[in-house]
Amino acid sequence: MSSVKKSEVQESVKAYANFSKINGSHPFKTQVPDGRVEYQVRTKKGGKIVFFHFDLAREMGLIPKDHPNEITPELEKQILHTFSLQIINEWDIENKIDFTKDEIRPNTYMATRYLQLQHPDKSGRTSGDGRTIWNGTIRHQGVSWDVSSCGTGGTKLSPAVNIQKKYFQTGDPTISYGCGCSETGEGLETLFFSEVFQKNNIKTERLLLTLEYDKGLAINVRAYPNLIRPSHFFNHLKQGNYKALKQVADYYIERQVLNGDWEDVRAKSSSEKYNYLLKKVSETFGRVAAKFEDEYIFCWLDWDGDNILMDGGVIDYGSIRQFGLFHSEYRYDDVERFSTTILEQKQKAKYIVQAFAQLTDFLIRKKKRPLADFKNHSSLNQFEHHFEEAKYKNLLHKMGFKAKHVDDLFKHNLNDIRVFRRSFTWFERAKSQRGVYKVADGITRDAIFCMRDILRELPQLYLTRGELLKSDEFIEIIKSSYAKKTDLNMTSMLKTQIKKFQVAYLNLIDMCALLQKKERHQILLDVTMRSSIINKYDRVTGDSITYVVEKVSKCRPKLTNAELYRLMKDFSHYQTLDPDVMHKTHREDLEANTPKREQNILRDMAGIVRECREGL
Amino acid sequence: MKLVLYSGGDARANRELDDMTMQMIGVKNPLMAYIPASSYLSEIEFQHFVEQYRRFSVKRFLHFPIDIPYDQTLFREVMKADVIHLGGGNTFHFLLWLRKTKLLEALRDYVYRGGVLTGLSAGAIMMSRDITMAGMPSFDRDENHDNIKNLDAMALLEFDFFPHYRNSSRYDAEFRKLTKRTKRNLYACPDGAGIVIDGEKKTFVGPTWLFTEGKKIAIN
Repeated sequence: MSSVKKSEVQESVKAYANFSKINGSHPFKTQVPDGRVEYQVRTKKGGKIVFFHFDLAREMGLIPKDHPNEITPELEKQILHTFSLQIINEWDIENKIDFTKDEIRPNTYMATRYLQLQHPDKSGRTSGDGRTIWNGTIRHQGVSWDVSSCGTGGTKLSPAVNIQKKYFQTGDPTISYGCGCSETGEGLETLFFSEVFQKNNIKTERLLLTLEYDKGLAINVRAYPNLIRPSHFFNHLKQGNYKALKQVADYYIERQVLNGDWEDVRAKSSSEKYNYLLKKVSETFGRVAAKFEDEYIFCWLDWDGDNILMDGGVIDYGSIRQFGLFHSEYRYDDVERFSTTILEQKQKAKYIVQAFAQLTDFLIRKKKRPLADFKNHSSLNQFEHHFEEAKYKNLLHKMGFKAKHVDDLFKHNLNDIRVFRRSFTWFERAKSQRGVYKVADGITRDAIFCMRDILRELPQLYLTRGELLKSDEFIEIIKSSYAKKTDLNMTSMLKTQIKKFQVAYLNLIDMCALLQKKERHQILLDVTMRSSIINKYDRVTGDSITYVVEKVSKCRPKLTNAELYRLMKDFSHYQTLDPDVMHKTHREDLEANTPKREQNILRDMAGIVRECREGL
Repeated sequence: MKLVLYSGGDARANRELDDMTMQMIGVKNPLMAYIPASSYLSEIEFQHFVEQYRRFSVKRFLHFPIDIPYDQTLFREVMKADVIHLGGGNTFHFLLWLRKTKLLEALRDYVYRGGVLTGLSAGAIMMSRDITMAGMPSFDRDENHDNIKNLDAMALLEFDFFPHYRNSSRYDAEFRKLTKRTKRNLYACPDGAGIVIDGEKKTFVGPTWLFTEGKKIAIN
């Protein structure tokens, strides 16, 4: 080997050295022994890289900052070696499947235990990661990242194993979820949805990469600074397992501290430390419940705390939706039960906080009291306080006020905001006279007004005309495609509400102008510009993501990794509704970097988003 | 007729054209409406548009994308604006939607009623008889994704306009050939340059070249 070639090889080995740290070892394994099941793993052959998130990999320190957005042969080798894995599960062992020594990896990988309501046990003794293993953790620039892979084989923690009381071979076609596999489409859906959420300041797991195998099966690798969910606590709480519960709590606190997200309470007394945990949980869940409600995000929160991360981050996009309108009576039909509605999410989030109040008390007193004892706990007041504050502030943000103006208005004009919120809510929650009806995957009752449209158009019309809109003009703007003629009868009640809405809206503009010592038109212009981004006409919904992924899947045979990566970046940029970020964007730069073929696909994707913008 | 044709470039490059536009408006507290060539990321363009004219103490702006459904209230306000600006982008897509929404006629009426119509790049081409120039030069043209056959535009100009012009033989060869065939005058401007039309008066701002019957003449 020439010296040049040798140094190139050494360089590339050094560049990807951090991949070797993702090898199954994880502090949770040792710190919470009752919280996981360990599996031997073997190399899974035949994997192809469908997607690799170069930016995320840079953020995690997996590739150098100056790495090009292309899969080099060495990078491909590293990715496949690190992530193309399948567990040797109980079925393999029972059936004495023989694997050669060289395909079995030296380290074990864990599947974590957590509470899941669909398990008959209902206490978390048998439930947890049913088709996921944790690849490990990696620390870079002061942040520790958890990395886990979905589709690496069926574990004994899957519902199928515990309902049917037998083990399954990985890939067994007779069962779906329990077969331990994942699909490429699932990964792409997570990718497009999570990147849009992330750009819009909604905490979420992120897709690091997807490996594809025969028949569209895939391993989808996710990353996040802390993948612990409330359900990781609740199984031990249900079982009254103080030791394991304390281990999870201490593990979680330590990670939050190490990541710089929480103040260092590790050395404080049990009471202080765990009460701090409770305080953070009530604050987080109060805010996140408000955010989900205001952004029309349907996340099936329930008592098991399975579908959300401890810090309110979104996880498992299978049941995540974002509605275009406030379809607050939509329920997903999960065969055995209907889901919660978007408005019931708050109560479920509050219930999670109540469980944490019980859990904290257990940790401090070492004695478990009934959950009902905590129904009036102060943490629930805290939850309400944070929920309400977030609701007010979210509304002001949606109107288009800058962060400082939001804070000032909240501080000085709460009553004025309250009046506007009442009016806003009246329109937002108005439903069609059609009533409840069945949709493909559940039931719904249509919202008839599009609040995003009125918030976008109103400020520029006030700026132009300097007077209130007539009732029929107002309705023409706010009505959605779901509104029928009978829904829009101009009753005296409707006329009164239209006037109230407008007066309260303009009052807030004037209050803001007063606080900021500006003229009304200056505030209206600011709000016009910001609102045109925040409330842009086309915003993704759950349905649109499904169709966007279908579109991408059709184009995918011809797309390279780099092209798919660019599409994801451009799409999430187009769906960034944060005026503070978008203000710095130059459209010319964006388009200049996007090749024609991708521009065509992007245009089709935008068309889909537009088409589905008011749906589920 | 009051028209301003911008070739391209940012607020700094177009300062002189902007000055002339503002002079031509001639009213206090004007209303400026922005019609983007496409709604895709047009809210960003709108921000830049507002920043560009805020410098002239303009306080009232409207953002009016036309390839998404719009309400008549907003449309009526746009038609009352003192200035309507047509943005840059894909000329074919823009024409498709101007025609679909019957805005080609509405904008012509607006101009004949005395409104100031300004346009940048695709928006400026739109004021010509047709949008032939969007397909020029062959090596750097707009894609006709929407497969538009009828290229007729507003026909407010008696000449063709080519934006983002680079003074090079590759461009020139195509323009000489074109003008020999069409017998129409073609004005080509680089970014930052443009043409102001106020009634019978035509003012060239920045470097401009005239292509006529196969000849190229520097006129500014």
